[in-house]
Amino acid sequence: MTQDRQPRLTRRRVLAAAAPALVAPLATPAIAQGALKGTRLTILAGQWYVPETNTMLDQLAADLGRDSGMDIKIERFAGDELMTKTAAVIGTGRGADMAVGVEFDTYVYAAKLNDVTDLADEIGRTYGGWMDVAKATSMVGGRWKSLPIGQAPAAWNWRTDMFRAAGYEKFPDTFADLLTAAKALHAKGTPIGMTLGHASGDGRSTNYPVLWAFGGKEFEADGKTVAINSPATLAAVEWYKEIYQYFIPGTTAWLDPDNNQAFLAGKCSATVNVNTIYLASRTAAATDPSRKMLVENMDHALWPSGPAGRFANYNINVWLPFASSPNKAGQREFLKAWFSRGFLPKWTKTGQSYFIPQLAGFDREDVWPDDPKLKIFRELNKLNRLAGYAGPPTPAAAEAVNKYVLVDMFAKACTGQLSPRDSVAWAEKEYQQIARRRSRT
Amino acid sequence: MAHTAAPSAPGHPPRVVRRSLATDLIDHEQALGYLLVAPVVILLLALVAYPFAVAIGYALSDRTLADPGVFVGLENFELLWENQIYRQTLRNTFIFTAGSVALRLLLGVGLALLLNESFRFRRLVRAAILLPWIVPTVLGTMAWLWMFNPNFSVLNYILVHSGLMEQGLNWLTDPNLALFSVLLVNAWRGVPFMAITVLAGLQAIPQDLYDASSIDGAGKLQRFRYVTLPLVMPVLLTALVLSIIWTFSDFGIVYGLTKGGPMNATHVLATLSYQTGLASGNIGEGAAVALTMLPVLLVLIIWQLRRIRRSTVA
Repeated sequence: MTQDRQPRLTRRRVLAAAAPALVAPLATPAIAQGALKGTRLTILAGQWYVPETNTMLDQLAADLGRDSGMDIKIERFAGDELMTKTAAVIGTGRGADMAVGVEFDTYVYAAKLNDVTDLADEIGRTYGGWMDVAKATSMVGGRWKSLPIGQAPAAWNWRTDMFRAAGYEKFPDTFADLLTAAKALHAKGTPIGMTLGHASGDGRSTNYPVLWAFGGKEFEADGKTVAINSPATLAAVEWYKEIYQYFIPGTTAWLDPDNNQAFLAGKCSATVNVNTIYLASRTAAATDPSRKMLVENMDHALWPSGPAGRFANYNINVWLPFASSPNKAGQREFLKAWFSRGFLPKWTKTGQSYFIPQLAGFDREDVWPDDPKLKIFRELNKLNRLAGYAGPPTPAAAEAVNKYVLVDMFAKACTGQLSPRDSVAWAEKEYQQIARRRSRT
Repeated sequence: MAHTAAPSAPGHPPRVVRRSLATDLIDHEQALGYLLVAPVVILLLALVAYPFAVAIGYALSDRTLADPGVFVGLENFELLWENQIYRQTLRNTFIFTAGSVALRLLLGVGLALLLNESFRFRRLVRAAILLPWIVPTVLGTMAWLWMFNPNFSVLNYILVHSGLMEQGLNWLTDPNLALFSVLLVNAWRGVPFMAITVLAGLQAIPQDLYDASSIDGAGKLQRFRYVTLPLVMPVLLTALVLSIIWTFSDFGIVYGLTKGGPMNATHVLATLSYQTGLASGNIGEGAAVALTMLPVLLVLIIWQLRRIRRSTVA
């Protein structure tokens, strides 16, 4: 059971507690000696893809525990399990003090999270300010209710050799060009593929940018008025329906691992994914010639530009400080340590742009990978837009994502189950029902 | 502490015997009955009745994960009924259950009849048959996921390379075939249970009955129709009802294979309930989706309990 002890107030303790405020904030994780001794801090986390980033979290917890006397425990869960466990803690108010959450969690759980506005302001000042997407993710009603860990940019992973064989030296820069390239690649027997199945990560990062590139949006800025049924959405659906006929078969059944597998097997010439295909292949290249060939013949690219611009949607991780925790001081000390200058830039560099903190000043810091094939992630990092646009990431937007409404809208039109117009009308009805339900609460 | 007068030797006053409460209880059958049943009743109340009552309460409220919500009556059910995904899910669930249970029944009974025969390595085969039932759902589902994979399907490889088809099937891509695929995996997992249960029933049938019917001139088919089937029926019905209940509320196979896709073609009530209640945080509506299963399961359970009671009385 987590607990706070009330330490006896002494001059030494007062000085120790005031030290972080007197010295440069976040310069080093100065610990209020003794104040946290004997307390416990349980943190729910998943597994980040780059193993060293997990090890660094463990080490940070161990160091902080040693310096503060706090007993810090990291409990790790696989993707959906972490979500379920977090929901259980939110529901019961027991079981953990903090968790790694995703982009919608702050809005969904806002009432059950501690206000960390002062910490967010301090971190913002240290690192040149928060990016807008970070504010949109973690601020509810003008207050910070979580602190963003980072975002995992999804790029177009493409086979340079296959594109070259089809007459393309560069990855297409517009949606019209992508369609033309898809035709050519299909004719060469090396089709592209975009996830149209119920894939919790790729389904979103692949399909929302298409909607936005054509000027479509799910909600108006109030986050309540449904705006999906528009000529812009229809144009996006029609483009999708056309390009779908040149896809590798099976994309409507693709779950998160399937596009990786197809790309790794050389059956698919381009797909939308984070940099894990490349990172895994680069590691395996030393012993596996086929992976070595892949690493030499693949690259990453930005999303093409559509009539309304160039957009992207990435998975985001945030620190959720549970209001039910009796160890609020421990939460804050951990967050200070995480965002300290001695830790965060190193953690980011180690992650090789798999997860990038949404801090504006990081663009100028030495946190970017040296590998030339990962350079593009610095640009990708600036593109993220949240689902629910033009509104905030409300629970209604989260529900639409979790129910794959947008993905299914495209899939229904692509497979001919509904006409493009009817699939947009179907999606509008679903969005309206979600908005109606959510307006009750 | 109770006192009773015990008989004593002539000329002596009656001996007073001290009786403990425990002794009293043992003597009172009715009280003892209640006492012995109490732990089970308490467990059932705490682990079944209470969560069930809470679930009903949730279904009648607009509770979310972060907000206790207010009572909304049947509004959640009304909203669900208006929702196309829910109606599709309901239809999927019935098809999924009916199809899977029919396959389990057909294959399970067939397998039990085969396993009841004498052949070499019979014990080994019987044990091996149980594998799909024993192996964790996730592991079995992962294997099938590979077999259905649009790009690497071993099933398609066999179909194409044996010349049966020119190109492979879209196991999880085509909406209708996807529902059949998840149903098939569910049946694959459930067949061993059906087979072993029916096999146990078959082995309880006395050989004399078969011998007698053979003497009377009954053929194989007649022996099955008039001896095997009636005697194995109680076991078969129990296995059938359990199969329906488990299939109707199945989650792992569908979630592991398709997460309800493509285009909600394989969503069943359990996966939709999870998606609505936990993933989207809409606890009230998620509970309402789950409670939709109640009438069907309730009818089955009551029927089964009555049958068990009748057979016990008989």
